[in-house]
Amino acid sequence: MEQTAPTLAELQTLIEMTGTINMEVFYWWCTGLMVIIHAGFLAYEMGASRLKNALASGVKNILAFAFIIPTFFFFGWWIYLAMYNGFTPDYEAAAAGLPWSTNMGPNLADNASGIFWGAFVLFAATTASIFSGAVIERIRMSSFLILAIILGSVVWILGASWGWHPTGWLTVEWGFHDFGAAGAVHMVAGFFALGVTINLGARLGRFAPDGTPIEIKGHSMPMTIIGLMLIIVGFFGFLGGCIIYAGSAQWTTIFGTPVTLSAVSFNTLMAFSGGIIGAYFVTRQPFWMMSGALAGIFSAAPGLDLYYPPLAFLLGITGGVVAPLADKFITNKFKIDDAVGAFAVHGVGGLIGIIGLGIFSGFPNVIEGAPAISFMGQLKSAGVMALLGFVPGFGLSYVMAKMNFLRVPPKAEEMGLDIVEVPLQAYPESVPAYSSEIPATKVTATASA
Amino acid sequence: MNASPITTWEGAEAYFTFADSPTAMMVILALAVAATVGAVVASVLHENHTYIDYK
Repeated sequence: MEQTAPTLAELQTLIEMTGTINMEVFYWWCTGLMVIIHAGFLAYEMGASRLKNALASGVKNILAFAFIIPTFFFFGWWIYLAMYNGFTPDYEAAAAGLPWSTNMGPNLADNASGIFWGAFVLFAATTASIFSGAVIERIRMSSFLILAIILGSVVWILGASWGWHPTGWLTVEWGFHDFGAAGAVHMVAGFFALGVTINLGARLGRFAPDGTPIEIKGHSMPMTIIGLMLIIVGFFGFLGGCIIYAGSAQWTTIFGTPVTLSAVSFNTLMAFSGGIIGAYFVTRQPFWMMSGALAGIFSAAPGLDLYYPPLAFLLGITGGVVAPLADKFITNKFKIDDAVGAFAVHGVGGLIGIIGLGIFSGFPNVIEGAPAISFMGQLKSAGVMALLGFVPGFGLSYVMAKMNFLRVPPKAEEMGLDIVEVPLQAYPESVPAYSSEIPATKVTATASA
Repeated sequence: MNASPITTWEGAEAYFTFADSPTAMMVILALAVAATVGAVVASVLHENHTYIDYK
């Protein structure tokens, strides 16, 4: 049989299709890795909860993930595509993100929408999980779900459209650069959590009558630490998802500046290491060492594409040192009960990251008319991200608290949410988790379950 | 029920169920939204009922 050489047009088609499929494969596995973040958050929060609340914390975390997915389909993706100018939507640009668009489903002419939507859903669910840990053991499940949906499918994605978008106004106007979404994901979620915890109040027994903090220990520190390590594993998918696969051209950041996976590899690992060492230096505690690892990565996240690796290491140390101190400060000074230090790790870590890149800035942007990365641009953008997280978190939870809809009744909190809400016991054959004051109806329900 | 918008894969683009029927898509979308909102409402009712014993 005679073989004919492929034509140039056939070769061109082959190359383009290979690039398209490689792009899909890359983001597919980034998304898969990001699911591990949620396995980590699940273990982390359950371990950080007392035995009487372990399952309720797990249910809350799982449901946050579940509710983010459809709501992000209904309106989250549209917000990202539409709102990059601020509060004025670009309806034309966002048409492909409408839930009834033909792009929002299997479409042989569109290999990109679904895979990018999927990656962004996992970013969204990450914000909800960050918030989730701060409010364990006393928030009402339904009020948590509403707040998680607002955070995950509205608030953070608005921040992403403003400052984590090829033409977001923060970059166009102020030159904002944030490779790893320290602002849109971590600062927004951390400051949202702070706003809610102020109105939610501390867990019963968290502070003595004179205001002295009393540590409430979770039921399984090993589970918490392993969960934190799983979050770190998942963040390699998260950071991979921060890169734009451009087919036959060099990788770029979401802002269009060139980057390599090698750059991100150098700096992520160095910042991770710095975070552990920094937290070990000030706490000696494994919980804070792993939380410090996260804070270390977030403290370098905006410039993971730009830093000299030892600088990322030093920024990681800074995050690892500051996060536990920040948590101690808000606990002692303001009597805020952030059960897992979400604000300190994500909010403060992200803030250090954005300001840090402002200090070590000067890099040019490629968006037409956008100024170079600068200290003032980073500082102002950090302020926007902090307000974008804090204001809706505080405002919504304030209204919920006034409606007596935010927190579980004190007696239910004392009894434990597993028996009240789930109702099951985490370890029914080992340690008794409940007192003899459980209403008879609940004991019967548990026994028959 | 014929839910397919295509009769051949040749030249097919959006091929998901009811892609050629905006009305059917809207009905399904509305049901999905209702199920999501309904689940949150059910959670509120469940809690209100549960907390009666703990007021």
